[in-house]
Amino acid sequence: MKTFKDVIARADQLLPQGRSIRVVWLAALLMSVELLLLPLIFKLDGQAHGNWQQFLGRFHPLVVHVPIGLILLVPVLEIAGLARPALREAAGFVLKLSFIGCLGALILGYLLAYGGGDVGAVVTRHMWGGIVLTIFVLLCALARPWWISGSVSRVYPALLSCALLALVWATHQGGSLTHGSNYLTQYMPAPMKQILLVDYFQSSPASSGSFYAMHIHPIFDSNCVACHGEGKIKGGLRLDSYDVLMKGGKDGAVIVPGKPESSTLLARVTLPSDHKQFMPADGKPPLKPEQIAWIRAWIQQGASPSAATVNGVTIREESKEPTLQPVGDYSGMMHEILLMQQGQGAKLVQVSRNPADGLVLSTVDVAGSFDDAQLAQFQKYAPYIVEVELGRTAVTNGCFDTLAKFTNLRALHLEGTGVTGVGLQELAPLTQLTYLNLSETKVTPANLAPLGAMKNLRHIYLYNTPAQPVSGADAAQSASRSAL
Amino acid sequence: MKLHPLCTDTDHGPTVMDLPIPPGLKQEWAAFETRRQFFGRTGKVLGWAALASLLGGRGVTGDAHAANTNGPAGPQAAGDLKLPNFAPKAKRAIYLFMSGGPPQIDLWDYKPNLAALYNKDIPDSVRGAQQLTGMTSGQARFPIAPSHWAFKRYGKTGTWVSDLLPYTARMVDDLTIVKSTNTDAINHEPAIMLMNTGNMNAGKPCLGSWLAYGLGSMNDNLPTFMVLQTKVNDKENNQPVSSRLWSSGFLSSEYAGVGLRSSGDPVLYLSDPNGVDREVRRKMLDAVNEINHQTYEELGDPETNARISQYEMAYRMQTSVPELADLSKEPQSTWSLYGPEAMEPGTFAYNCLMARRMAERGVRFTQVYKRGWDVHGNVTGLLPILCQETDRGCYALVTDLKQRGLLDDTLVIWAGEFGRTVYSQGGLSPENYGRDHHPRCYTTWMTGGGVRPGITYGETDDYSYNVVKDPVPVRDFNATLLHCLGIDHNKLTYKFQGLDQKLTGTTPASVVPGLLA
Repeated sequence: MKTFKDVIARADQLLPQGRSIRVVWLAALLMSVELLLLPLIFKLDGQAHGNWQQFLGRFHPLVVHVPIGLILLVPVLEIAGLARPALREAAGFVLKLSFIGCLGALILGYLLAYGGGDVGAVVTRHMWGGIVLTIFVLLCALARPWWISGSVSRVYPALLSCALLALVWATHQGGSLTHGSNYLTQYMPAPMKQILLVDYFQSSPASSGSFYAMHIHPIFDSNCVACHGEGKIKGGLRLDSYDVLMKGGKDGAVIVPGKPESSTLLARVTLPSDHKQFMPADGKPPLKPEQIAWIRAWIQQGASPSAATVNGVTIREESKEPTLQPVGDYSGMMHEILLMQQGQGAKLVQVSRNPADGLVLSTVDVAGSFDDAQLAQFQKYAPYIVEVELGRTAVTNGCFDTLAKFTNLRALHLEGTGVTGVGLQELAPLTQLTYLNLSETKVTPANLAPLGAMKNLRHIYLYNTPAQPVSGADAAQSASRSAL
Repeated sequence: MKLHPLCTDTDHGPTVMDLPIPPGLKQEWAAFETRRQFFGRTGKVLGWAALASLLGGRGVTGDAHAANTNGPAGPQAAGDLKLPNFAPKAKRAIYLFMSGGPPQIDLWDYKPNLAALYNKDIPDSVRGAQQLTGMTSGQARFPIAPSHWAFKRYGKTGTWVSDLLPYTARMVDDLTIVKSTNTDAINHEPAIMLMNTGNMNAGKPCLGSWLAYGLGSMNDNLPTFMVLQTKVNDKENNQPVSSRLWSSGFLSSEYAGVGLRSSGDPVLYLSDPNGVDREVRRKMLDAVNEINHQTYEELGDPETNARISQYEMAYRMQTSVPELADLSKEPQSTWSLYGPEAMEPGTFAYNCLMARRMAERGVRFTQVYKRGWDVHGNVTGLLPILCQETDRGCYALVTDLKQRGLLDDTLVIWAGEFGRTVYSQGGLSPENYGRDHHPRCYTTWMTGGGVRPGITYGETDDYSYNVVKDPVPVRDFNATLLHCLGIDHNKLTYKFQGLDQKLTGTTPASVVPGLLA
């Protein structure tokens, strides 16, 4: 505090208009306090207020970009000013302009929230972010003349940095309000998510096996909670958990168990899409017909949080296929691979144009002569190979040794080969393997035992083997997918 | 004086080809000689002239010239094209084409309420302002003909299937049944062209050719796209099936379907004649290829390269096709599954078995045609024959693929070009009736890689006349098939006649997500 006084004192000495500086600071202090008190005077009470507030408030998303652009311009001008002093002069002007912009955006934003009756954690954070940012910009504008004169060199850069941080924080909250809080992270690559611990922070609803948790909640989560969630509570209604959903909004319950026709929620999503009260509002995509049907059936049958099924609704089970590990990028090796397969006859075929989908080892052109030794030559590319087609080749039980190194292998064809299954246990480390075709081989039931431990391996074909012999007439009826 | 290899006129004087000029110029000169290329160039010359005037004379430089000669008139580079857009669920497909239009009301689309409406007129509101074919438009009445056959529920899904399809009924839990397929065409030729090529007019590549063009071959020794025709049963009303349906259209002719004959040698003149052994054949081919290469260098016609590759394919097929068609090593279980008919070449069951063998050998796309479904009259007499010919084969093929682990990455499709009317064509009696063409709804099914098993998609009204839920027009049907094979139908295009041509045509088409696994 003492240093702060010193600073003012020194500024007084330095600047010709020393007297007025106190007045300016006083005014600034007053304004800051007013800004800080604003939310306390006009409480965001979740009620919608006058039309003109809402009308003006809706200009907030437009106006807000003006100060953002201007504030970002300030450090650019300051730095560029090192080389071209004229730009540095402009920075002061831009800074003042951005303060006015901040103030305008702040007031409009407040009108938007107050007028529209928006409340919620993200709304509050966004609001405080905006207030803090405005104050920092104000302080920057006041501290800048000292910095220019060279008397106090650190305060202004520090304040400007704080203003930029506040800008990032406040704008991120604003973005979350508009686009939903997972907008940035939804398509973030999985490895990056792990590093940033995104999923760790994201609360997931109790993922019990109930119909609500599996099918109803996800509908609300992706269509409604941007406005009716913890972050923003339009109309006092939250849909982000079962309890708050059943509590309803400021006009009472939105779900009446057993009575879909009197459930406001269902009524609002089934209105004609140009109706004023249609939800999701503001041109957001409407719910899909089947989603509405699920909600209706779920309400009809008691809107239970725990019932596992709802009569009359069969929803396809989500595929239980294990999530596929993308393989590395082999594009750099493509030339080498082409050269090799010219000599080999067997081919490494790209699964798709996306290298992460991997390669298929195809031997059909040279099936008769392809043997264990040739297979071993492909070991070099093993991490990129997701499928190995060895049907009707000359490979033997010796191939399992090599195949164990194909760590990303998802499908393995060995039909019509000489393998008997000795050594199959070597495949155990292949956690990605889901498909194994041993049809028309001499595989015996005893040799298959080790496969039982491979959890992901669910498609095993043993047609016409000692493990699953065919006896003429009932071949048609024999089960093909044997469950181990 | 060196003559053009194709020139037999020795009296003719020297031409541009004899001038001491760079071979590149000669090639360009030669390229002007085909009509199509001439027009193509002429059009571009006008464009370049306009560009040159716009650029004030500075634009026409060496670079501009290079751009001109490498323009789209040349063969479009395949390269990266021969790959799926995304990881496919199915690597190959087998299309069982029921030419003539199977009656959905008698096979799949169960309408129990119609029994009470026997011989009543179909309400005008159902028919709407539809234009009928010349075969029934003159009829005074449109009496409702309920199906002659009973339906039962099958499988865990409890799907209703006609008594005519006892075998297919056993596998309903594996099928993706589409009751709401509909087409824009009401007559055979336009409808069958639309199903196969996405366009009612001839000249467009068919599904198989697009796949061959877009995905390439899996087996170097067999064609990428093969067509099997089922022997004609003269009792049935057979509509012609022509090679237009497996034509490659404007794509290179190497992508056209290769038909196997239904009797005799699968491919005519494939085996070497007496006194010609394989080595002699090889030498002959080498010589022919050399001449063809010379021709290509001089004329630059991409079709010459297609010819070379087809000769080579035929040579390789000399060994691969006999092996493919040799059923002697099939175990007894095969015959008990497909039935004894499968031993006779040309039957539908035989073709189904061949389709399985082709799938095993890496043929990308096999299309089996069965004609005779055009039952304008005598439905009760003809339909049992048609079903008896095809029902077991369909079931055997799917079951066989499944037990051998091939169904995971093979897509099987069963479809005709349209459905048939609920009202009777000609006289209606308790014993017999006829059914006319009906484009507004018909039933198809798929199974295997990429599609969702055990579902029935789409609904028709009480008369099996209009689709009331989830319509699947032909273009969406085809877009979905391509999707299962890893292709984005909007990305598999070929520039022709100023348009990025594609299988699904210019009307916006979309993949049907409800059909996908």
